[in-house]
Amino acid sequence: MQAVVNALTSGSIYLLFALGMSVAWGTIGVLNFAHGAIFMFTAFLLHTVASGAGLSLPVLLVTGAVVGAAISALTQLLVFEPIQRRSPDAHRAELQILVGGIGVASILLAISQRVTQSVPFGFPPGTITVTSYDILGARVTNIHLIVVGFALVLSAAVGWWLSSSRVGLGLRSIGVDPEVATMMGINRRRLARGTMALAGGLSGVAGVLLTLNLGSIVPETGDAYLLKGFAAIILGGVGTVRGTVLGAFLLAAAETVLITTTSGQWVDAIAFALIFAMLLLRPNGILGHKEVRRT
Amino acid sequence: MLGKAFTRVVVLATTAALVVTTAACSDNPAPSASGDGGGGLPATVKILSIRQLTGPSSFAGTNGKKGMDLALDEIAAQKFLGDTTLEVDVKDSANSVQEAASFANQGVTDRSYSAIIGPEASAQATAVSAITQPAKMPTLYIQAGSDGVVTGDYTFRVTAPAASYFDIAGEYVKSKGITEAAVLYATDNPTLNQLGTKKIPELAAANGFTVTSSDSVASNAQDFTSFASKVTSSQAKAVFVMLIGPQTPVVITQLRRAGYQGEIIGMSAMGSGNLKPAGELAKGAVWPTDFTADQPAPSSQKFVEAYKAKYNGEVPNNYAAEGYDTMWFLARAIKEANSADRTAIQQGLAKVAAEGFDGAMGRLTFEGNDLRVEGVLAQWTGSGETVVQVNG
Repeated sequence: MQAVVNALTSGSIYLLFALGMSVAWGTIGVLNFAHGAIFMFTAFLLHTVASGAGLSLPVLLVTGAVVGAAISALTQLLVFEPIQRRSPDAHRAELQILVGGIGVASILLAISQRVTQSVPFGFPPGTITVTSYDILGARVTNIHLIVVGFALVLSAAVGWWLSSSRVGLGLRSIGVDPEVATMMGINRRRLARGTMALAGGLSGVAGVLLTLNLGSIVPETGDAYLLKGFAAIILGGVGTVRGTVLGAFLLAAAETVLITTTSGQWVDAIAFALIFAMLLLRPNGILGHKEVRRT
Repeated sequence: MLGKAFTRVVVLATTAALVVTTAACSDNPAPSASGDGGGGLPATVKILSIRQLTGPSSFAGTNGKKGMDLALDEIAAQKFLGDTTLEVDVKDSANSVQEAASFANQGVTDRSYSAIIGPEASAQATAVSAITQPAKMPTLYIQAGSDGVVTGDYTFRVTAPAASYFDIAGEYVKSKGITEAAVLYATDNPTLNQLGTKKIPELAAANGFTVTSSDSVASNAQDFTSFASKVTSSQAKAVFVMLIGPQTPVVITQLRRAGYQGEIIGMSAMGSGNLKPAGELAKGAVWPTDFTADQPAPSSQKFVEAYKAKYNGEVPNNYAAEGYDTMWFLARAIKEANSADRTAIQQGLAKVAAEGFDGAMGRLTFEGNDLRVEGVLAQWTGSGETVVQVNG
């Protein structure tokens, strides 16, 4: 039972992290390599403010969402949009955006490394009082419940928004065919900025919750989660929220089984071997749709 | 035709300029390190210091530099080298092996440098040693605990290997009457891997406890919840966490939240303020270290007072102590050599190492070119660290 709780918590963290990345990649085609750095930098900024001000958890979560959204929207406005404007074709723009994202991530990483000297940072002890419960023999803390609750509620909300709201449907139409979507009157630039802000907001919330769950993080933490988030999206299928949910929990379950039953040395290798197998057997992921191209 | 002739002239002129420049670089007749072994100290002895001032190991680089700066102040104030001044050029190698190697090449080629103080990370240090040892450039390191760093007469390490003073951790476990312990180590870090796979099993055999489980993770791992649950549900009453500094508050937080109440034993990475984010949860965690500000040796306390005076009451950590002792080791060697010549300084270093000296880390002796210290057991109080006496 304890292993199930651990897998659910890890999977929820992967999900919170991957959700924003998946939405941006699956709709506006932006694979944002600065996503991990935004996640970390939001927590870093809040740590700097919270150490003096003693912010409560709800305030931290709301501020985290706003700060993450602002950094992500600025990245879109100042880096990705100019790249898209200047690139001769969409394929080259995608590659240049990857490099641009790495550049943004490096700047955010360098600033936080300089300030913290890579010493771990977190929120003050009074931010949340940790309470633990015994549920069917497993030890569960209130932080576990908050993390799992946020992951499930946010993914359900994003999934509904993408499939049922007018803006979400417009966004998905960009993912299917950007040219036709523009001809139908969809403002791609405005939607792209909004999507990046949403992705950043989700990343900011994930940064706050991860810092609470771990107790502290370091500037390099975002990089480690970038790989996990990427893996969860590939496993579940790009562009589908349900796929990302499934990918995140499958990855966490595989890791938990390996840690519980082995010495843990091969966790990353075996988890990624599973993903490699998935890419060979079902390249679009478990719930990904087959791409149809018409000539 | 004119175009071709012009091109030839430009190529020839450029080649000539390059040859002249290269020759000037390699034979810079700077008086401070003439390489002829001539006696007498020049007005200035130039040292190249390659530090990791940014990047993931910056906590070691910046604190080491602060210790070195304090030593430089004292050397100048005491006129330890008479009218000679030590001039230290600091370069930031950040997280790049290539940059460290490039700086080392620059230091070896520029004859005005008499010695190099090398980077902290083993990966960078091995690359630097591969350049400086064959070039007969005296090179001193702090940290850099892996093989391939001390490769010959010209390379010295002024941080004792953790395994050389780790026995105190085994004695601590024995003193608590513990018979079962778990181990978690970072598999991709040579020092931590060696402690986890060799040293701790040896300590277990020598101190009458059993290693019930031995788990490993990568040094970038952040989630230890499964390990914490595993240990909590086992019979282990002590857990050795051989992880890098930033991982230690996370693993302790997760162990305590999982309900683990036993002893937590780490290594020197738990110092330097790394346990601050874990606060009260980490209270009672212990780790063997080469330095803690509370250790009683008079030379250690003298360093602590001087450090606090220079840095507005800041308490020094092990990296600062290692940096301080490294600079004093080099200054003693230069005085012994009475020359800025590289070979003479190497001989001076060997002589000082053979005699040993008292420094921030207490009594310093060397085994070959590798430092040895007695070591102490430090304990986290919830807000700072103190020394623990082990009663066998």
